[in-house]
Amino acid sequence: MKKKIVLLIVTLGLVGGAYFLYKYLYKDHREISNEEAAVELAAADLKQMFVDNDAQEILNKTVIVNGTITGIEGQTITLDEAVQSALLITENAGNEGDIVAVKGRCIGYDDLFEIVKLDQSTIIPTK
Amino acid sequence: MKKIIYIFTFLILTFSSYGQEKYSTKTGSITFEASVPSFEEVKAVHSNVGSILKSSTGEFAALALVKGFRFKLALMEEHFNENYMDSSEFPKAVVKGVLQDFDISEVEEQGKDYLLKGSITIHGVTRSLEEIVTVSSNADGLNVSSEFVLNPEDFNIDIPKIVANKIADEVNITAVFTLSKSDL
Repeated sequence: MKKKIVLLIVTLGLVGGAYFLYKYLYKDHREISNEEAAVELAAADLKQMFVDNDAQEILNKTVIVNGTITGIEGQTITLDEAVQSALLITENAGNEGDIVAVKGRCIGYDDLFEIVKLDQSTIIPTK
Repeated sequence: MKKIIYIFTFLILTFSSYGQEKYSTKTGSITFEASVPSFEEVKAVHSNVGSILKSSTGEFAALALVKGFRFKLALMEEHFNENYMDSSEFPKAVVKGVLQDFDISEVEEQGKDYLLKGSITIHGVTRSLEEIVTVSSNADGLNVSSEFVLNPEDFNIDIPKIVANKIADEVNITAVFTLSKSDL
């Protein structure tokens, strides 16, 4: 009887361990669209942060950026020629001239084009 | 009088941009793969790479923000950024160079190979780069593509022994840029 209980506990332990290991190794990607934004600001202000000082603290953070669409290329929209967002869904992405708010993950500053880049972005409905 | 000024401004602008033609994209793609058979695929795709080609001189530059590489597994992506590439400290990977003997009038639809001589910066380490790049024309501009191999060691990227057998020593890079004429 005692043996059986020990065996049961060991088995449960192994299964549980395997489960947590699996969960760790194959954990899900971040869901940027469901995360709370660390900061909300205008496109030009976000760019200015990178121009002034590297703005390392904002890398990899979820941000909400407000601005006017000044360019559309592939799956991306550019706001005020300062921030380029790669959208997850391009449906209803809007047209040039539209004022929008975009939530995305800030991946850094591209000094070739002098723009800040976001990925995994979604357009959030303006209130 | 105003008209004359306008015409002059127009002429100056036209001529100053002549021969300065630039082709660019902000949505170029780079894929790298360092998979070892029978282990989890080590592969990532970046589809927002910026790139510029100056057609008069053949000068070429591409910049990828390292955090934009997407892996199938979230944990692999995290390790790539935090342990190997230190992407918060070194957020950019840059290629700069000149396509040797580049002449836009020679570029055709089926593509022509050029030698790109320049430098590549990854993980804060800059090394010289000489790779073959294929340039072809399309309706809107130019396609620039290249395939080459890099060694993580060359860029001070340490791969811990415990995972070393799951990651190939040589990393295959594939880059594709669809450039359109721009007035940058």
